[in-house]
Amino acid sequence: MTTDLSTGIAARVIDAVKVYGTGDTEVRALDGVSVDFHVGRFTAIMGPSGSGKSTLMHCAAGLDTLTSGEAHIGGTELSALSDKRLTLLRRERVGFVFQAFNLLPTLTVAENITLPQDLSGTRADPAWTDTLIDVVGLRDRLHHRPSELSGGQQQRVAVARAFAGRPEVVFADEPTGNLDSQSGEEVLGLLGRAVHQMDRTVVMVTHDPVAAAHADEVIFLADGRLVDRMEGPTAERVLDRLKAFDHGRTRQEEVPT
Amino acid sequence: MSGTRASVRISLSSLRTHKRRFMGTVSAVLLGVAFLAGTLVMGDTLRASFDDLFDTASSGTDTVVRSSDAITTSDDAVGTRQPVDTGLLEAIEKTPGVAAAAPSIEGNGQLLDADGKGLGGEGPPTVAGNWIADEELNAYELAEGRAPRASGEVVVNRGVADQGDLKIGDTTTLRTPDPVQVKIVGLATFAGEDGLAQVTFTGMTRADAEKYLMPEPGLAATLVVRGEPGTSQEQLTQAVAAQLPGGVEAITGEAAGEEAMENNTEQFLGLFTTLLLVFSGIALFVATFSIHNTFAIVVAQRTRENALLRALGASRRQVLGSTMIEAGVVGLLASAAGLAGGIGIAAGLQALFPAVGFPFPEGTLVISALSMLLPLAVGVVVCLGSALLPAVRAGRTAPLAALRENTVESSGASRSRALTGTVLGAGGVGLAVLGALGGGAVLLTALGALLVLIAFVVLGPVASSSAIRALGAPARRMRGISGALAQRNALRSPKRTAATATALMIGVAVVSLFTVFASSLKATMDDTVSRNFAGDVAVSTPGFGDGGSGFSPRMEPEVRQLPEVDSALGLGNGVARIDGKGAALTVTDPGRLQSVMHLGEVSGSFQNFGTDGLAVSEQKAEDEGWKVGSKAELAFADGEKQTFTVRALYETSELTGDYVVTREAWEPHRTQESTRLMVVSFKDGVETGSGQAAVERVAQGFGNPDVQTRDEYIETSASTIDMMLTLVYALLALAVFIALLGIANTLTLAVHERTRELGLLRSVGQTRAQLRSMVRWESVMIAAFGTVGGLVLGGFLSWALVTAADGQSSTPFSFAVPPVQLTVVALVGVVAGLLAGWRPARRAARLDVLRAIATE
Repeated sequence: MTTDLSTGIAARVIDAVKVYGTGDTEVRALDGVSVDFHVGRFTAIMGPSGSGKSTLMHCAAGLDTLTSGEAHIGGTELSALSDKRLTLLRRERVGFVFQAFNLLPTLTVAENITLPQDLSGTRADPAWTDTLIDVVGLRDRLHHRPSELSGGQQQRVAVARAFAGRPEVVFADEPTGNLDSQSGEEVLGLLGRAVHQMDRTVVMVTHDPVAAAHADEVIFLADGRLVDRMEGPTAERVLDRLKAFDHGRTRQEEVPT
Repeated sequence: MSGTRASVRISLSSLRTHKRRFMGTVSAVLLGVAFLAGTLVMGDTLRASFDDLFDTASSGTDTVVRSSDAITTSDDAVGTRQPVDTGLLEAIEKTPGVAAAAPSIEGNGQLLDADGKGLGGEGPPTVAGNWIADEELNAYELAEGRAPRASGEVVVNRGVADQGDLKIGDTTTLRTPDPVQVKIVGLATFAGEDGLAQVTFTGMTRADAEKYLMPEPGLAATLVVRGEPGTSQEQLTQAVAAQLPGGVEAITGEAAGEEAMENNTEQFLGLFTTLLLVFSGIALFVATFSIHNTFAIVVAQRTRENALLRALGASRRQVLGSTMIEAGVVGLLASAAGLAGGIGIAAGLQALFPAVGFPFPEGTLVISALSMLLPLAVGVVVCLGSALLPAVRAGRTAPLAALRENTVESSGASRSRALTGTVLGAGGVGLAVLGALGGGAVLLTALGALLVLIAFVVLGPVASSSAIRALGAPARRMRGISGALAQRNALRSPKRTAATATALMIGVAVVSLFTVFASSLKATMDDTVSRNFAGDVAVSTPGFGDGGSGFSPRMEPEVRQLPEVDSALGLGNGVARIDGKGAALTVTDPGRLQSVMHLGEVSGSFQNFGTDGLAVSEQKAEDEGWKVGSKAELAFADGEKQTFTVRALYETSELTGDYVVTREAWEPHRTQESTRLMVVSFKDGVETGSGQAAVERVAQGFGNPDVQTRDEYIETSASTIDMMLTLVYALLALAVFIALLGIANTLTLAVHERTRELGLLRSVGQTRAQLRSMVRWESVMIAAFGTVGGLVLGGFLSWALVTAADGQSSTPFSFAVPPVQLTVVALVGVVAGLLAGWRPARRAARLDVLRAIATE
């Protein structure tokens, strides 16, 4: 798998710190994480529960704000943005796929796909939307409501929606967490194809080594710190790396990038 | 039973956890109960205060002597009594036990202010009488100045003096109705108050009172007697009664006081409280829908919880019971708070009334057990009744529902519902139309109206889908995606949308019913005057109820002398008993009646009525079986009976009433002479403006009655309706407010239910403004649906009722739809929807995106 690190950076965080609570109840969910997500790359974020992987994603995507440090989408620094600007940024430059409940039950499949463009009052690029619909294979379901779709189909619609606005980066939070392995495979395949065939950028949080194996690179978080990176992961290697966390948590020192 | 204890525990813990959800319900019940309790407490307090007032005022009078016969008519429940001979005083004063006796002369006398405008007369009577020297016998007491001694000197009650800015030493005019120049020498109070509510009182010397208020000297309305200490009222009254000739009676002062109370305030208070009770009923009815809706939503949201309970072994009854207990507790708490609110309202009004010039007698609030228990019971019953269906549904929750995905309660637009609604609606419309067009069966129409109302409620969910689709179109166009999302949300649960809108629908329906009814009434007046009135200007003294003095009959000849005037004719009032029933007579010159009035089809002749000629409306003649030439016996208040001959029949009777006699026929039986309306027509070529000015100049010499063109006259007549309508609007505002609380509550619950959706929308780029707009537009659509439904319902019902009333009454009743007012009602409904959505929208927009998407 070739990766071109000289291409631009779609999203990055620098010295990201996120603290919840104060005093005795203080929790450092992120404790000085710096990471770049390059354009045209599929990155997986892994780590044990409470490692801060979801927080990292939320902060990088503009859903949450950092306590200190910087988060960038393209060339835009997020901490300076108002709620309104952040919202517009999410709408126009970021795509999301959540674990569940990705779709509005009142809208049809087609309407769900173009929702971000409809919110901004712009017209979705019909050719691009069309391509996406074919890629996710839901042409015959366009006028169905989410409640009429299977879980896998719903997640495929979510993937189509995430890419519909050609965002600079798509964040996926456990997109296969609620799916059986076959449906999960389909969704991951879609994400992979979007990155490699359509030159998109995806950042995915997952705890599933099989899912992570679809990525170009895996970064490992533990206790709010970046502890390892792995190029060209396979499920076995990722699993081994994760086991290393569990067995005594010996290698907690920071790994140089 | 332990089973019940479990239900209680479950419902209490659920109430504690979901306090916010019940805020809407609590407010609705609280407001309704507060209004109800406030009305009852205020009614009791007013009644007690007035009771006190009359007791105090009449405490010095032990016996009242008066004519025993009173002729009452449908418009005058107090009745007309013949004056008594003051010559009886001599015998009364000699009766053992009598300490003092005095004539009480009472009539109509309206004071004018410095600008020549009549004071008072807006409901309560404008009384003039003799100032009784004996302080005990005089209901009024002198507060400042002195009693009248010379002719033209008067004492007036302080209230009317303040109102007209009159002071001791001032000179003004008293319409008796002949204008009398009077000089104010004293100010009086009534049992310590500035007056008896809004009743105006002018006390003159006995000679003046006899001259202006009685047909001849030596007469008085009543004779008042005070007993010596140690003589009971009963003993004294019996002793006095023994001295009286036939046709004259003696009653105790206490009985007279009660009667005065009854006549003066009981009717007014009864009407007032009934009106308020009706409107609190409407408010509570509207509240029922809001409460029902809240419980329905809460139960739906709690499906999983209830299913879990069922799965764990709770019986249906326990689940049902826990919901009902919740409703009971909410009802009890809200009603209790409502009672406190009601007492507050009553206290507030007690403080407010004097500030707006209505002397509310001082006194502590009367809080009876009934006025507390009734609203409390109503509040709890409304709550329990509204929660019953949702509770039954909660009980029916299948244990398996716990395992299913928590889906939003959906659709209520079943075929059987559509069918039932359509059948009910068709039946109702049929009955209403039949009643309306088939000769005016108001009862039939009312039954039909009720069915139509039920049909509207039943059909709500069926209609809401298409209605929201139609109403949502402009929102989509104006607000794009937010409008479209709002529309989809409103379409989600047609049942819920309909139930939410129904509360507003009923409120708006009642508002438009009254609006259309009032405008129809005005149109009717307009038509009446147009149909009846052949003159150019009308002279009258505006006032309604017992108010207004009328004006002097001596003005008519002077107006006739004017070069501009072609003819002028005054109408006065008389009263007689005909066929055992009291009837109002119009006293005029029948021979000239047709020169100033259109009477429609006329048979017989209006000429040469003499003292025994009678004209009768066709309607009345038909009822009585009279034709021209028939004989009718009229019994007057003075006991005289006289046979009249029907000389003419006329078709339109709006301004003349059912009976017309000559002045000569009425003269021997009259007490105070007065003209209520004079119609003047000008010669050809005389401009209305200059003619009017000429008549006005004459009017100045007669206590300044209003000289109005036909249009002005109609306007004044209709102003009463506008005033009533304003009052009705103010009262209905509560019902509409409760309906809006219902909309706000439903939306708040919906926002809560859709937390994750809202989080998703925000994360994919919906701005807070868009989210707020989305929630507000949903609110507007629901409100618009309710408003349109209400307008249609109210419009139809008012048409049916007006048409039915038209068929039933002898005089035609026009139906008129006021487009401007109804547009305002529609706009208010929609804007109110916007306001109702405000808070839920703000709350929704404040949602933390992360927490929203992380729920469960």
